[in-house]
Amino acid sequence: MRENIRDFGGRQEKRQRETGSKRLVFRRTVLLMLVFGVVLFVPLLRQIWNIAVVNHEYYQRLAVEQQTRDVPVSASRGNIYDAKGNVLAMSATVYNVILSPRDLVNSISESKFKNEDGTTDQGAYSAAIQARRDLITDKVCQVLGLDREKVAERMTRTNSQYEVLKTNVEGEQADQLQAFIAENKLGYSLYLTPATKRYYPYSSLAAQVLGFCNSEGGAYGLEAWFNDTLEGTAGRVITSQTAHSTEIYNSYSEYIDAVNGYNLNLTIDATIQAYAERTLEEGIKDYDVLAGGWCIVMNPKTGAILAAASSPEYDPNDYSTIRDEKLLARLEELKNSPETTEEQYAAAVAAARNKQWRSQAWNDTYEPGSTFKALVLAAALEEGLVSDSDSFFCSGGARVAGWNKVINCSKLTGHGAQTLQMAVQHSCNPAFMEIGARLGTEKFYEYFNAFGLNEPTGVELPGEAGSQIWPQMSNVDLAVASFGQRFNVTPLQMITAFSAVINGGNLMEPYIVDSVTAEDGTVVQKTEPTVVRQVVSQETSARATAILESVVADPVEGTGKKAYQPGYRIGGKTGTSETTVPGEVVVSFMGFAPADDPQVIVLLAYNTPARSAPGSSTGTTGTYISGGNMPAQKIGPLMAQILDYIGVEKHYTESESDLADVSMPRVTGVSLAEAKQALDERKLSFRTVGGGDTVTAQVPSAGTAIPGGSTVILYLGEEPAETVVVPDVSGLSYEGAKTRLENAGLFMRASGSSTYYGNSSKVQSQSVAGGESVAAGTIINVEFATPQIDDGYLYTG
Amino acid sequence: MARKAKRDLTMEEQLARGPMDLPFLMLTMMLLGIGLLMMFSASYATAYYLEDSPLGYIRRQALFAGAGVLAMYFVSKVNYQTLRWLAIPMLVGAIALLVLVLPFGFGRSTVGAQRWMYMFIVSGPSFQPSEIAKVAVILFFASRLSKRDTEKKRKWSKRTLTGRTLQRLDNVGFLELVPYGAVLLVIAGLMLLEPHMSGTILVLAGGAAVLFAAGISLRWFALGGGLAGAALWFIINETDYMTSRVQLWRDPWSDPQNKGFQTIQSLIAVGSGALTGRGLGKSMQKFLYIPEPENDCVFAIVVEELGFIGGAIVLLLFSLLILRGYWLALHARDKFGALTIVGIITLLAVQVFLNVSVVTNLIPVTGISLPFFSYGGTALMIQLAEMGVVLSISRQIPAPKND
Repeated sequence: MRENIRDFGGRQEKRQRETGSKRLVFRRTVLLMLVFGVVLFVPLLRQIWNIAVVNHEYYQRLAVEQQTRDVPVSASRGNIYDAKGNVLAMSATVYNVILSPRDLVNSISESKFKNEDGTTDQGAYSAAIQARRDLITDKVCQVLGLDREKVAERMTRTNSQYEVLKTNVEGEQADQLQAFIAENKLGYSLYLTPATKRYYPYSSLAAQVLGFCNSEGGAYGLEAWFNDTLEGTAGRVITSQTAHSTEIYNSYSEYIDAVNGYNLNLTIDATIQAYAERTLEEGIKDYDVLAGGWCIVMNPKTGAILAAASSPEYDPNDYSTIRDEKLLARLEELKNSPETTEEQYAAAVAAARNKQWRSQAWNDTYEPGSTFKALVLAAALEEGLVSDSDSFFCSGGARVAGWNKVINCSKLTGHGAQTLQMAVQHSCNPAFMEIGARLGTEKFYEYFNAFGLNEPTGVELPGEAGSQIWPQMSNVDLAVASFGQRFNVTPLQMITAFSAVINGGNLMEPYIVDSVTAEDGTVVQKTEPTVVRQVVSQETSARATAILESVVADPVEGTGKKAYQPGYRIGGKTGTSETTVPGEVVVSFMGFAPADDPQVIVLLAYNTPARSAPGSSTGTTGTYISGGNMPAQKIGPLMAQILDYIGVEKHYTESESDLADVSMPRVTGVSLAEAKQALDERKLSFRTVGGGDTVTAQVPSAGTAIPGGSTVILYLGEEPAETVVVPDVSGLSYEGAKTRLENAGLFMRASGSSTYYGNSSKVQSQSVAGGESVAAGTIINVEFATPQIDDGYLYTG
Repeated sequence: MARKAKRDLTMEEQLARGPMDLPFLMLTMMLLGIGLLMMFSASYATAYYLEDSPLGYIRRQALFAGAGVLAMYFVSKVNYQTLRWLAIPMLVGAIALLVLVLPFGFGRSTVGAQRWMYMFIVSGPSFQPSEIAKVAVILFFASRLSKRDTEKKRKWSKRTLTGRTLQRLDNVGFLELVPYGAVLLVIAGLMLLEPHMSGTILVLAGGAAVLFAAGISLRWFALGGGLAGAALWFIINETDYMTSRVQLWRDPWSDPQNKGFQTIQSLIAVGSGALTGRGLGKSMQKFLYIPEPENDCVFAIVVEELGFIGGAIVLLLFSLLILRGYWLALHARDKFGALTIVGIITLLAVQVFLNVSVVTNLIPVTGISLPFFSYGGTALMIQLAEMGVVLSISRQIPAPKND
């Protein structure tokens, strides 16, 4: 408003004011128009440009992250089969039952419980939620047998979307729940996620070989070593999802198929494995063995492992549970001790678990003891350092330069003069110290390496232990190493090296997986026997094999004679090794058969049988603690079983075939002369009862299989006795027992450590106890035992 | 009523029968159409998953849109001069409603504020009294300020101190502001009791725009702006609530699952749009990620589906509508009409600006809906009725002389 306006009259002033203010309104409106119509839109567009175009990738990534649901489709894990196609490990689909308390609450729309004024009817809303909770709780408790209160408590965790109610729910229960979920449309609140569970149908059989799976996949054994092969490749289902995790199938969805894992076909034979495990357990029980043991069965020509048992064992279906009685007893003792802290106990439990999961056959090492002499023998033969004309004198001990004590032989009185074969049969330490000395440290070490004892065998099993040897071999080391002491190798290394001695001289690479096959049976990978190197010549091998056979076959000199089985040509070598740990002793036997064409080699070992008294050489069960007495006793029947199973024919020696079962002919009703002729044909003796000329009755009846050489009873007019009383034959010799039983009208079938039932063999047990009544003609099984064999470890290092 | 012949009409009545502004009407209808379509798309997932029918929201919104277009038409037919006197009862009514909403309204349980009430207190469609208050304030201010020049200046007694003081205050132009200030204080105060921060901002912005356009001296705006700035500064720095809000605005990722959630989800939606968008109806963020995507965040879905280009087109339409609105104000027959349009259009512009700013995290989160787009039946109806007022004013613009 300008100054001069004031001079005009009121009306004019008013009009002037009006025009002025109109112009002002105009100007101000134009200003507002520019600001609100144009200027304000500039920062908006700039900001949208920045977010939507410039930073698009960043936000797109965030979007994809939250909007995409990437569900893995688990590939089915491959099975593990034994050599005969029996399933040792398989997978089955199981389900985890998942509850989402948060989605349960969300699934009930609050908007349906609005009052007129828009507030929520809290009472009705809560009741609806509770009703749904009860519905689910009732069903899961009924189907899965869960604790009601615990489920109800988890229902109240409304911040949680993932409450695992139960894992590993199988078929029928899962089906029931699926139907329930579908029926009540509870998909968001309760659902089942598939998972696989590993089953081991044979329970603890070959447990350490197979290993087990935990949530991460294979954790031990073959399951771990071949995890990649077995597990396959998981597929994926990629879909979009809402913020409530509901899948949306749209153009962004993608499917990638899962590729199932391959199957493993092992060289392990479940039957042989079962034999091996049974024998191992039997010995552990019979000899009160403290630290378990192992038993490996291998084909010496190919290196295929037919069985690998280790004790203590476990059930891979329930791998955390400790089953071994000795381990349990030790834990119990620790638990009850007031000084044990909780950490100590937990550590002990963990250690016990670890112990049962490990296989002593390849995860641990041992001192092989005298079984190693076979290798020294082969090396010396190969080098031409020993011959059959050599004589080795044993005075019961020997001295070595650099050691101020006498190194004892197992027989303290000395073996006297021996041939090479006798030295091996006797397992004579001084003799082998001399053979070792002839080899010298250099050659010894060379052969030690050639036999593969200084390198992993290459077996496809996890955790193969390494051998522990002398840093620099001294004379003393050489002397004790010659009989297998003061160095450590794994049992698997030892059996592989021993195989090379008897299979024609080839060190094989042991293997346990014969082939890897796809689901449809296509062979993906096939293991062929691999020769690592030829260690000794065929001739050397043949000579060594013959000597080793005599260790078992020689009924007088052989320290391995307890392993003898009639009909089979078994060779082998005993081993007893006291380690540097006081009180620890491993008794082992390396047996192979048939000696002329070895098809199986078995290493059976017991780790530390309990002693009857500290320092004593006798076990708590009365058996002398040595390879020749304990494992040799057990390995014979085991090998007989295996050889029978794999179809190796029995070849009896003449004296053995005399004892073979024959069928009792029908002689009743014929004349005595005719009967005699018939019985003679079958090498059966007879005695007569009564005075007639015609056989009126016979014991046993026609067709009964009885041991050859038995004396049958022919009744000439008299009535045979119905029942007889079994005499007690314990402690008697073979002939004594046989006579006493036959006089009572019974027959004896002898069995035991040796068929050489000379006077040294005594009856250990009989199948029917003395004093009991049985039918006449019953065959009584009598087990003989040879007396103690002096093959101990009396090495006072 | 029987239509009178043109010759029987008064000058006023003749003018009121003039043609309404077609560009403004077209822009309004286009925005309404696009708005309904996008609201449908945005609400689809929410309606599908959380309500009974996927069409739940759009059905109601379309119904109100129809009613709103009718309301717009009828309002445009009304001679806006009647609004001069209607403004006062409207203002009184609005204040009364703002008082009534405090005891009778609802919304505290859902949004933590007492903003809504039913048309008949206990039943009927729900609405926000603040929507009515906005219009009432604008109309009241416009009608009063339009008489500013014609009003006779009041003389104050020079004998008393009070008189002299009042005279001085009158001279600096303070006295004439008192009624406006009082109305704004009462309404803003009542709305803050609900509390309704965004509504308060809009009422103040609308009122200030009318005052500004009416020619109130700039120094009062400087003073008001200064005071508001100081208050804002104080609130931001001294109250925990606002400090955390500002903190969250700067870095929504500091609380991604909770308070920053809406902002982050909205940014992700806008960010996944790129230049051309995922395609109409193909938003992923509407699948329950963005809370109530049909409401304040509908623009984020627009950009996600239609891209920067789609968002820019929508903003361009708004810009054109606003520019056309001011153009109508500039050409309005009288000052009342001009100021009314300025108020209504500024209100609309501020609402668009604030809404899009919140969606793009340009300013801290505050609940402001996007006109024609956001879900809310009565709000849409009132919005359209306001457009009707603008159209009514446009009818009385004299046709350009062709000579």
